[in-house]
Amino acid sequence: MTYKQATYDEPLIFELGKPGRRGHLPPKTDVPPREITIPSNMKRKEPPQLPEIHEGEVVRHYLHLSQMNYCVDTGIYPLGSCTMKYNPKINEALARNEKLCYIHPYQPEETVQGILELIYNLQKILSELAGLPYCTLQPAAGAAGEYLGLNLIRAYHHDRGDYDRIDIITPDSSHGTNPASTVMNGFNIIEIESNKDGQVDLEALKAVVSEKTAGFMITNPNTLGIFESQIEEISKIIHDAGGLLYYDGANFNAIVGMIRPGEMGFDVLHFNLHKTFSTPHGGGGPGSGAVCCSERLSPYLPVPIVEFDKANNRYFLNYDIPKTVGKIHGYYGNIAIALRGYAYICALGADGLIETSRQAVLNANYVMRKLEEIDGLVLKYNRELPRKHECVLDATPLKHEIGVGAMDIAKMLISRGYHAPTVLFPLIVHEALMIEPTENENKESLDRYIQVFKEEIAKAKENPQYAHDAPYNTAVGRVDDAWATRNLILSWKMIKELEKKGQWPPQWPEDH
Amino acid sequence: MSNFSHPYIANSEQDKKEMLAELGLNSIDELYSDIPDSIRFKGKLELPHFQSEFEVKEHIEKLLSKNVSTRECRSFLGGGLLDVYIPAAQDELLRRTEFYSAYTPYQPETSQGTLHTLFEYQSMICELLAMDTANCSMYDWATALGEAALMTARINKKGNKFLYTAATAPNRKEVLKNYVSGAKLEIIEIPYDKETGKMDKEKAIELMGEGVVGIYFENPNYFGVIEDEIEEVIKVAKEKKIVVVAGVDTSSLGIMEAPGNYGADIAIGDAQSIGAGPLNYGGPLAGVFAMKFDKKWTRQMPGRIVGITLTPKKGKWAFTNTLQTREQHIKRFRATSNICTNEALMAMSTAFHLALLGPQGLKETGESMYYNAHYLKEELEKIGVKTVFNSEFFNTFLVDLKIPKDKKEEFTKFMLERKIFAGIPFSLDGETYDYLITTSYLLKKKDLDDYVKAIEEWRNE
Ligand SMILES: Cc1ncc(COP(=O)(O)O)c(C=O)c1O
Repeated sequence: MTYKQATYDEPLIFELGKPGRRGHLPPKTDVPPREITIPSNMKRKEPPQLPEIHEGEVVRHYLHLSQMNYCVDTGIYPLGSCTMKYNPKINEALARNEKLCYIHPYQPEETVQGILELIYNLQKILSELAGLPYCTLQPAAGAAGEYLGLNLIRAYHHDRGDYDRIDIITPDSSHGTNPASTVMNGFNIIEIESNKDGQVDLEALKAVVSEKTAGFMITNPNTLGIFESQIEEISKIIHDAGGLLYYDGANFNAIVGMIRPGEMGFDVLHFNLHKTFSTPHGGGGPGSGAVCCSERLSPYLPVPIVEFDKANNRYFLNYDIPKTVGKIHGYYGNIAIALRGYAYICALGADGLIETSRQAVLNANYVMRKLEEIDGLVLKYNRELPRKHECVLDATPLKHEIGVGAMDIAKMLISRGYHAPTVLFPLIVHEALMIEPTENENKESLDRYIQVFKEEIAKAKENPQYAHDAPYNTAVGRVDDAWATRNLILSWKMIKELEKKGQWPPQWPEDH
Repeated sequence: MSNFSHPYIANSEQDKKEMLAELGLNSIDELYSDIPDSIRFKGKLELPHFQSEFEVKEHIEKLLSKNVSTRECRSFLGGGLLDVYIPAAQDELLRRTEFYSAYTPYQPETSQGTLHTLFEYQSMICELLAMDTANCSMYDWATALGEAALMTARINKKGNKFLYTAATAPNRKEVLKNYVSGAKLEIIEIPYDKETGKMDKEKAIELMGEGVVGIYFENPNYFGVIEDEIEEVIKVAKEKKIVVVAGVDTSSLGIMEAPGNYGADIAIGDAQSIGAGPLNYGGPLAGVFAMKFDKKWTRQMPGRIVGITLTPKKGKWAFTNTLQTREQHIKRFRATSNICTNEALMAMSTAFHLALLGPQGLKETGESMYYNAHYLKEELEKIGVKTVFNSEFFNTFLVDLKIPKDKKEEFTKFMLERKIFAGIPFSLDGETYDYLITTSYLLKKKDLDDYVKAIEEWRNE
């Protein structure tokens, strides 16, 4: 298959257009104009330099840009830890409903009974899957869910007068947001090394728990795709020390309906609806990071929680949570995203969701066993263990042998019209290639990917420079990240200033 | 579960068999063999299930049909969000799967579409706010405020106090409180002047003592009042190296001054009001975060930032995520923020909207809102209803209605019967409610006249 990504010399939109052209005529009031009496120090003097373009050219510009983008509907997108599954089109259509788009969060409750019911239903569904009875959709993404979960843990300890619990423990395989949320939340982070099986080292864990332990954060399966089979022991160690357990549910696509973290002793969990429940990733967001928690953490939930008043047969926003931690989002979270997740769950039902996980896991193991055969790639940590929805291969041998690492492999893959795995994460695998095909790829698609992987590594072995010079066939060749950091050109305004100084467009260094 | 087949699952039973055979396995169960039996869920999940896409659609549409939208009922609700119109061309672009089904451009060479568009978003935000750099979104305005407070403490390492005005939206205050709680950053409220609704500047200056790292105000503030007497406060802040953070209503910027031109170091807000997307019951939104350029400060910014860089082909520059070493995936607990997934699509959508709207459209929408609000205020005054604060405003003001607590529900209903969402109730005295009214550019004279008529009727009852 030959591949060539669309390539346009598309200018910045600011370079297009001319004064006087219009792209859209906004509605205007029929109230007569009047003098604008905004005090002069607060009155706009110079209009912002926005483009002036007619509608057709705006559409053409962004259409060109869209064509210089790889997406899930282009082909396999096995970006590990991100669960880049198909985004069902019905969900997009449903999210355009006027009775979703045009409702304000402060409308009277009687005018939003439909959306409140949907939120309530989704809360119940997520609770059912988590095995934890309480739920809020307020966090806008997984990291916000973590932050909120940590808030709940702190509130719980403080409420018991236990102010000395300041440590959060997490394995070194954890996602970067776990330690980041922890420290942002004012906790002290303790990262423990994984054992040779890529799992939590129980001895290391025992060594760090203490009367200062506030909680433990883990994702299971972990970022190596390995199930933490000692989870009950871990749970016991933490609980015995008086700590609580946080479940990073980003990897839930492996275990939906098969395991309920609440039943393993977890007190709080976040889901990434943009992973497990198919909502689009939007080029970086929006997501939705719903949080479920146990009875003992429920007094601290953020306000409001959607509840049902049986007596009056009416859904309502409950702000009456005296010990609430407050708010984690301006309103109730990314509701239009939550709706898409809800539609997905409705379409699959329990059996469908379970089957989804099983196929995601089958696909990951299939790819892993085939790629493992490539000379130069190894499966670090116990290779006997099956992986779950994702696997992590290590290209360190290849790197030592011919100097071609994970990033080079990524660039060769995108040259062929396939998305790369997540590279260089988790950090405990040096040349990590983290692959998560999801259930959206059939056998032929996986076979093709494996074949391309093999072909490209073979080419690299023949000529390592080929690998270093990749990608080919993409809209642009390999970008120079170091130059970007050194020069920091971050807006059109900064470009204009460089232009004035005669420093734009940029000069290529001699040796480039 | 034999012969399970579903449109969202790629493989057939036959495929599964073949794949298992190649792996030397009999069943997918074997891939779960490492999960102890004791923790497996053995019950039956209580989940909804609909047989086909058609039925899912019917179910959800039926639920949503119970809502009353702002297309059916005239909305005077604002509070940081705005009822906007999304042009069809914008939605067409938003429906491009190339944009919405991609993720963070970790492979920039194959994601120039996302990166280029986000760079244009950052640039347009800078033009609007008179700033030099912007990130490519926070979750919303409220979390942008939390992040801004934390950033001022990273810049001014020595202090631990952050000032904000009492005329900040209550929901944003709540999130701010939450975001600073871990950093041991003390937040101190600057009162507002009871007559004007503006920040009490004497008090603000008095509070800018030892250990203050940043000061935040909104403009227009939550009451809709324009903060036009802040020059001295900003001057003192600059002298004391206190970082000035302004929260602005982005929809006002066609006619109101950009915060970068009156001394703000950091400017935040929500791009929803400038057309990132419709109300969506409060989310997704798009938190704006922009600042003046400073090599050191910019490295303290939260969130993703797109920058320009070189490619191997001379003359062909391109876009990439830059300053990634501030972020959690590299810096872990030393990151400037925990944010990972952000609101990128909403940011791109903002770029589409602003490209369509242009400077003229922005000015016109601003003017329409201004005319509407000022007309409404005068008409209300004609029937003897005053505003609480007698200050200059843009599209929002607080109407002195003093609805007693026990009448609030009745009032809401009364207005609803007249197809009006009356505004956001706000209590100054803890006993009665005044209403914060926002007029979008979708409202026409008749809607405003109907509002006045309804209030008149209410008062006569
Ligand atoms: C394992 C894991 N935890 C947490 C997160 C954070 O989620 P989000 O990006 O939605 O903030 C991610 C994804 O990015 C993840 O893969």
